[in-house]
Amino acid sequence: MKNKLPYFVGAMLLVTFAAYSLTSFKDTLTPYVSYEQARTAERVVQVAGGLDKSDIDYDMAGGSLRFTLLDPESDDTLRVRYDGLKPANFEDAISIVAIGQFDAATNELAADKLLVKCPSKYQGVETKEYS
Amino acid sequence: MGSLSQLYLPGAVSLWCALAFAVTTLWGYSLVLRGDETARPFARRSYGLFALATVLTSAILFLALWRRDFRIEYVFQHSGLDLAGHFQIAAFWAGQKGSFLIWLLWGALLGVLLWRTTGRDLEAPVMGVYTLTQLGLLFILVRENPFVMLAETPIDGKGLNPLLQDDWMVIHPPVMFIGYSLTAIPFSFAVASLWRRNYRDWAARAFPWALAGFLILGAAILMGGYWAYKTLGWGGYWGWDPVENASLIPWLLLVVLIHGFYMERTRKRYRRANYILSVLSYLAVLYGTFLTRSGVLADFSVHSFVDLGISRWLVALMVFFIVLPTWLIATRLGQVPTQTNEDSLLTRGFFLVFSTITVLASAVVIAVGTSAPLLTGFMENPGQVGPEFYNQVNQPIALLTAFLLSVVPYLTWRERPPREILKRLIVPSLVGVAACLFSLYLGAYGKLHILLIFLATVALVTNFEKTMARARVGGVTAAGGYLAHVGVGIILIGFLASSAYDRQVKVTLAQNQPQTLDNGTTLTFTRTMPRTATERERLEIKVERPNGSEYYAYPKMFINDRTRQLMVNPHIRKLWNMDLYISPIEYDPGRPAGAPERLQLAQGQQLEVGDLRVQFLGFDLSAGGNAMAQMASDQPITVGATLEVVHQGQTTALTPRYTFDQRGAAEAPPLSLPGGGALRVGGINATDGAVILEVIGAAGMAVTAEPPRLALDLTEKPLIQLVWFGLYVILFGGVLAMVRRFRQARLSEQLADGAA
Repeated sequence: MKNKLPYFVGAMLLVTFAAYSLTSFKDTLTPYVSYEQARTAERVVQVAGGLDKSDIDYDMAGGSLRFTLLDPESDDTLRVRYDGLKPANFEDAISIVAIGQFDAATNELAADKLLVKCPSKYQGVETKEYS
Repeated sequence: MGSLSQLYLPGAVSLWCALAFAVTTLWGYSLVLRGDETARPFARRSYGLFALATVLTSAILFLALWRRDFRIEYVFQHSGLDLAGHFQIAAFWAGQKGSFLIWLLWGALLGVLLWRTTGRDLEAPVMGVYTLTQLGLLFILVRENPFVMLAETPIDGKGLNPLLQDDWMVIHPPVMFIGYSLTAIPFSFAVASLWRRNYRDWAARAFPWALAGFLILGAAILMGGYWAYKTLGWGGYWGWDPVENASLIPWLLLVVLIHGFYMERTRKRYRRANYILSVLSYLAVLYGTFLTRSGVLADFSVHSFVDLGISRWLVALMVFFIVLPTWLIATRLGQVPTQTNEDSLLTRGFFLVFSTITVLASAVVIAVGTSAPLLTGFMENPGQVGPEFYNQVNQPIALLTAFLLSVVPYLTWRERPPREILKRLIVPSLVGVAACLFSLYLGAYGKLHILLIFLATVALVTNFEKTMARARVGGVTAAGGYLAHVGVGIILIGFLASSAYDRQVKVTLAQNQPQTLDNGTTLTFTRTMPRTATERERLEIKVERPNGSEYYAYPKMFINDRTRQLMVNPHIRKLWNMDLYISPIEYDPGRPAGAPERLQLAQGQQLEVGDLRVQFLGFDLSAGGNAMAQMASDQPITVGATLEVVHQGQTTALTPRYTFDQRGAAEAPPLSLPGGGALRVGGINATDGAVILEVIGAAGMAVTAEPPRLALDLTEKPLIQLVWFGLYVILFGGVLAMVRRFRQARLSEQLADGAA
């Protein structure tokens, strides 16, 4: 029985690690949500949509970009703020995925990551990531 | 598949020949299995012909790319007239079909080496299973034939994605596919051994192949990381992207398998686990291929391929290669004789089991994280996990690994008194403490960081000592494993330093205006440098470090001629303790002084410019004759823009004219503005019915020039060279171990052949 102990300790460690991983998985999961859900979510989420090309507000010196996403399925729109530089070929985007948390104070999604899908000659569509 | 008329026949026929010879190989070996020894040379010849046909197929596709034969759709999609010399090689695997073909090519060639190393007793079953794995790839290629032709011949192809036009992309993908092909070999041995109930010799012969896979896949991962770091300019070598993870998971499983084979060889233990691990490492490759090639992650990954409709085939392939070994394992694993001696705590056996489970846990959590979109797919909101997940779960694993490794060199198979081990750990611990003090001096913080630095340093020292001792006694090849552990110690410190301590700032610099950052570094964007015969457009940045040293950085930033995409290459400055990484993000050419300000006004709209308010009332089609008549008679057309300009309460009506012809030439005489300055029509936006005005020097208008601006990322990457160096040491240790195990495998075959 004495030399069963190490294996018992090992199994306990494994269970602890599994629980820890599951918690981490839940915490870092960024679900795809509708704009409506994004406004009420208390966490980092992902939203996708088309770019409203008439409404892009960009300040290069300050490094901030504001734009409006259009939901392809409804006529819902979502204002997005991204503190960073405008991605290359941003205006040509077919669709944009923004990852971030909704900021109720300014009524916009504060994105810390953008995935920009542009038309590409090579693979039909090309996605680039900016954070 | 397409009808015959739509295929480029030389290539397609050669591919079908490969398929036919693979089938006759299977038939030949099945005769050998039934005891017909005369079929053995026939089976080997069949396999040789299959390999030859695969080489021929690849050569035909390569030649078609080289000759730029745009009749073939694959060539049209991935090559172009302007594609430079050696990048044409990269066009071979730029698309899905070509990358499956290169995978098959390596697999076919490896098989020729394989049947020489299986031993006569295992040759038929191993080659049978191995040929089945090649048939799987062949089926996909026949379904998705690379030789499909276009209805008509284009004069130029679409060209190669500029991101792939890089020296690393010529070498990284093919090496990766050699690694993928190698994982099929331990898999084939394991399945063959269970199937023939020959449990004795397979592990010793599969062992060197597992090491080869570990080595080549590791080298490919190193190149991929290097490419990301040097070329992509996003500042890192690893982003936990699904494509990266798809290669890392099999690699970690191979690490576990190598240790399992070592246990089997030395202690006759782990024998059942090795079957499962061998199968898993190949399945991980198939699963990774499915994840990254089928489009299931299209919304989540940066560089997943689009779905070609091959998902069904990949799923079918996976199911087949899951069901077959699972059934064998379920029914026969219990018959495998194994030693289950209980180890006490401080023995090499216990630590080996414990550390392999640790690495296995890492592989499992990375697989779970990568599969998040699939696992959460049935929920209302499917999601993905970010890089922080992988960093969090691998933190305890890194600490535990460093701890286990630091003790391992002083353990033996029999338990030793703990005091003896602790005594031997005194000197390495002192070195570890010294390393901690030095890192504190360099600015390290945080209990966990210091703990990891301590453990990794101790692991490095104890394993280095053991490496030297083993090399003295058993020659240099006997020290491979411990040398690899030294590399792990180095790489853990490199990971910690370059990820936890990297400082990234984004700055926007106006030309010739120095800017001092928080860390005391002063940056000045001095000039842009035009394209030369050998170099693309570059930017010049003067960097003055707080210690007084200065240098010039020349990152590249240019527009690709063909795609109009913006391309950047970072500038990397290597210092003894860090890399300084400068990556341009955006360039704004600014405006020279006195440049006109352009405004666009729709009918009825008004705008402020300087102290003026300008309102556009509409176009006047009779300002210079009858514009409608001019349009009908092909003469130059003249229109006027009716404006009201308000300056200090005074309203002035202005009608600047705009004359243009069908060829696009235009004339627009400027009119003086109240309060100074001038205005003219700069163009007409016919779709919106808007006018574009150019205003110069109006009262209250800013006349200052806008200087050119450059936005860039400046990142300090402390000790990143330890990441590369550590991986080199790990791989070199792998080379030594592989040489040794190949010798032992030969011995095992000779003994078996002598006994037969």
